[in-house]
Amino acid sequence: MDRRSFVIGTAACVATGPALAQGAFPSHTVTILCAFPPGGANDTVTRPIAAALEPILKQPVVVETKAGAGGQIGAQVAAVAKPGGYTLLSHNNGISGYAEVDKLFGRTPKTTRGDFIPLARLIADPVLLLVNDQQPYKTLKDFLDDARKRPEAIVYSSGGLYGATHLPVAILEKATGIPKLRHLPTNGGGPAITALLGNNAQVSTQTLSAASQHIKSGNLRALASFGATRSKILPDVPTLKELGFNAEYYLWVGLFAPQNTPADVVDTLSAALDKAAVSDQFKSVVANLGQEYSYQNARGFAAFWAADAKISDEAVQLIGKQ
Amino acid sequence: MNPPSPAKRITLRADHIAGAFFVAAGLAVIALSGDLPTGQLSMPGAGFLPEIVAVLIIVLGASLFLRAHESPAFASIAWDDGPHAGKVILVTAAAIVLYVKLGFIVTMVLMLMTLLTVIERKNVPRALLYSVAVAGGIYVIFVYVLRSPLPTGILGHW
Amino acid sequence: MEDTLLSLAHGFGIAFQPGNLWYAFIGCLVGTLVGVLPGIGPLSGISILLPVTFGLNATEAVIMLAGIYYGSQYGGSTTSILMRIPGEASSVMTCIDGNAMAKKGRAGAALCIAAVGSFTAGTFGILMLTLIAPPLAAIALKFGPPEYTALLIMGLIFLAYMSSTSLVRTLLMACLGLMLGMIGIDNMTGHFRYSFDFAELGDGIGIVPVAVGLFGLGEILATPSHKVRGEVITPKYRELLPTRAEWRAAYWPIARGSVLGFVIGIIPGSAHIISSFLSYALERRISKNPEEFGKGAVAGVAGPESANNSASTGAFVPMLSLGIPTGPITAVLIGALMIHGVPAGPQLVTEHRDLFWGFVASMYVGNLMLLLLNLPLVGLFVSVLRIPYGYLYPLIIMFCIVGVYEVNHSIVDVWIMLIMGMLGYALRKFDFDPAPLVLGLVIAPIFEQSLRQSLIMSNGNYLIFFNRPFSAALMAICIVLLGLSALAYFLKRKDWRAKLAAAEAGEPGA
Repeated sequence: MDRRSFVIGTAACVATGPALAQGAFPSHTVTILCAFPPGGANDTVTRPIAAALEPILKQPVVVETKAGAGGQIGAQVAAVAKPGGYTLLSHNNGISGYAEVDKLFGRTPKTTRGDFIPLARLIADPVLLLVNDQQPYKTLKDFLDDARKRPEAIVYSSGGLYGATHLPVAILEKATGIPKLRHLPTNGGGPAITALLGNNAQVSTQTLSAASQHIKSGNLRALASFGATRSKILPDVPTLKELGFNAEYYLWVGLFAPQNTPADVVDTLSAALDKAAVSDQFKSVVANLGQEYSYQNARGFAAFWAADAKISDEAVQLIGKQ
Repeated sequence: MNPPSPAKRITLRADHIAGAFFVAAGLAVIALSGDLPTGQLSMPGAGFLPEIVAVLIIVLGASLFLRAHESPAFASIAWDDGPHAGKVILVTAAAIVLYVKLGFIVTMVLMLMTLLTVIERKNVPRALLYSVAVAGGIYVIFVYVLRSPLPTGILGHW
Repeated sequence: MEDTLLSLAHGFGIAFQPGNLWYAFIGCLVGTLVGVLPGIGPLSGISILLPVTFGLNATEAVIMLAGIYYGSQYGGSTTSILMRIPGEASSVMTCIDGNAMAKKGRAGAALCIAAVGSFTAGTFGILMLTLIAPPLAAIALKFGPPEYTALLIMGLIFLAYMSSTSLVRTLLMACLGLMLGMIGIDNMTGHFRYSFDFAELGDGIGIVPVAVGLFGLGEILATPSHKVRGEVITPKYRELLPTRAEWRAAYWPIARGSVLGFVIGIIPGSAHIISSFLSYALERRISKNPEEFGKGAVAGVAGPESANNSASTGAFVPMLSLGIPTGPITAVLIGALMIHGVPAGPQLVTEHRDLFWGFVASMYVGNLMLLLLNLPLVGLFVSVLRIPYGYLYPLIIMFCIVGVYEVNHSIVDVWIMLIMGMLGYALRKFDFDPAPLVLGLVIAPIFEQSLRQSLIMSNGNYLIFFNRPFSAALMAICIVLLGLSALAYFLKRKDWRAKLAAAEAGEPGA
């Protein structure tokens, strides 16, 4: 927690910050604010990368949970943090959509994408279209046919409004042209899967790593993947692209620095992250989570984020105000 | 109901104040609900339950007000602990303002010292020893044993 | 059955390996520490120590992390009893009668009963987990939004039994709590409600800041030091243990709390929070001396403490048999297992037999360790009360601030705590009891969400609450409870004149 800047005065920090940083960044503890509570994908992958960063940066790297309001609190705190590279942010797809949702409700956006510099994408977990095994659908076509027959009758569960497990449904609705499904919001990925397992919802879009256990045990069925290619873990599940629908969506976790972080500090950090990402420690965690390695460096992530944010904005508009 | 005696009718009672407060609170909630959609019974909106609860608060508050004659007189409530409570609130509020800025150790030593010496009139060296020992001990346990960061403030990063 | 016992024996073989025994001990020790310290709950304790487990194997890791979780349930009551600061939502109820017992010089007894209650409940929970986890898990899945709604309606009815103040006062407090509980983003539509542009209020008002303010700080504000000076409670060490009468008063509440907590604990979602509240209300409802509650009733400590501990064990049922989290803590444990390449799910028992049974066996061992660890500590903790009040209350204020801040690292929460402290002070003056307020706050968000989710599922048809078996059964219980209350009220009204006279004679100011 470094809020010293507020006391000493922001002006002084801007003047001396870069000069100090040029010497030896980092000279003390680096804090990664994690915008989601422990147990979620963010926390799970941020802690090992922080542990792998420590020997590279030769300074302690601490993960501090700043969860709340669907990740907005963490984003807001990071956006106004002193841009010296000592406060970073671990966030996910949510960071793309806040401004668009605020616009929808006529609120002034608290953070925009311009507030952050992308450093690295740690993981990108493809989303799957899942159904409860008690449902008759065996293929995507079965499902789409029924959805057309019964508009707003099939219930899907999501981990929260405008969240990473809600937007893919809007994307799917648009790509396939089916009428709207009925939305059952829950408060998190776990509860959304529980609702699906209990057949309180019939459909859900959840990530591969969260669902693969339940697919293996036969309780859930995956009809299609939002990934670009078939996953090695579930080779039988077709992608939406190969079925002829233009839809791609991942739940990703990325690291960000506040805007105005000096360029050399950003370079130091992204070089360190590139090294940490190939460590056995990080790689084994990704593999154990049941994911394919999908790390992206700063440049690659920036391009990916720009494209993904556009998809996200469009999906938010499609969902509209409830 | 017992008919209130004339003497009781003019006494301001505790529940007059409490009831009026709750009625006002309920009205304030309704006023603040603004553009929250209430929806219908079959599909309640964001403002549905809050308004039901606000109405309940008003009704219950009003019944408290009307039955206030069963409650003790407002004047009979003892406020002799008020000044002490006020001072403690002020010191606590100051500590909250400073907590993140000055950091855990400095703020807590200051707060403990103020409470002990200014309000409790304890012996200064003893109070200082106690404050530093307690704040330092808690800091060590949180930060070094449990690795759970406390605000460091002006003492910076160790 | 025989198979289960064989597997369990195999599990004990694994749990007693020196390495596993050591990590169980470390987990229990850290758990006790994070439980005792306000603010650091099991959730942050586990996630902070998660990186430490990267170097361990999966069995050691889960044994240690789970130890932190159930270990923290033991220590959780300590600050509640000694200082009236509930460190976690689950120990809010303990601070009412536990602290009242401490004021009577029975802090040692309260802590002992809490520890023994936790041990009994924890062991009962593991026994159930060992014997009937898979069928229970299947039932737990049937517990969807309609069942939740029905359960919470029951919780709302129980609210009326929470307090000894009049029904109007109790309901007013409950409504105030419900109102506070609806602050924040509406999960179903995305509207911000009464949050006045504070992002921190987006997730609503936390239970810990409210409870710490109302109970902890409120108590200090109402207790000026010049009134306490000279009458420090100095418990004698030989008076630490509960008396025979206190034990007798604790047996049944512990037993009921264990069963109630376990049943609620296995339900996926946030129901476990209400287990200790329901247990308190239940004990007060069936007690022969309900007027003792709030003034140091043993059952008011024994019941809720047992309930929250067996609820935390019950949470392992859906986690281990289905791989679904019942709350944030089991979610972290599932994440920790995944990091070690062990996916929690239905195949856990078959694919990772050693881990599963070693883990279950380690919980029997861990609970015993915790009992042996906590009982001697009672003497140490009680000596906190030897500090003269003038020195003690500044310390308590410090714990209030740190405890509330550390939960979310949010200064707004600390302000809420201070405001609630002032509210608590005022409520005391006007003879209101804050306990129903806290239960209202706990119930509001879950009740509203499950009610609206149910209506989404049924497309607005209220019959959904009556045409699903579990929900219908719970609703039937609610109707019976309401009917009984109405009957009792009707019978009481007959002799109301006598009651009113009695009330006027003795009640005011009580």
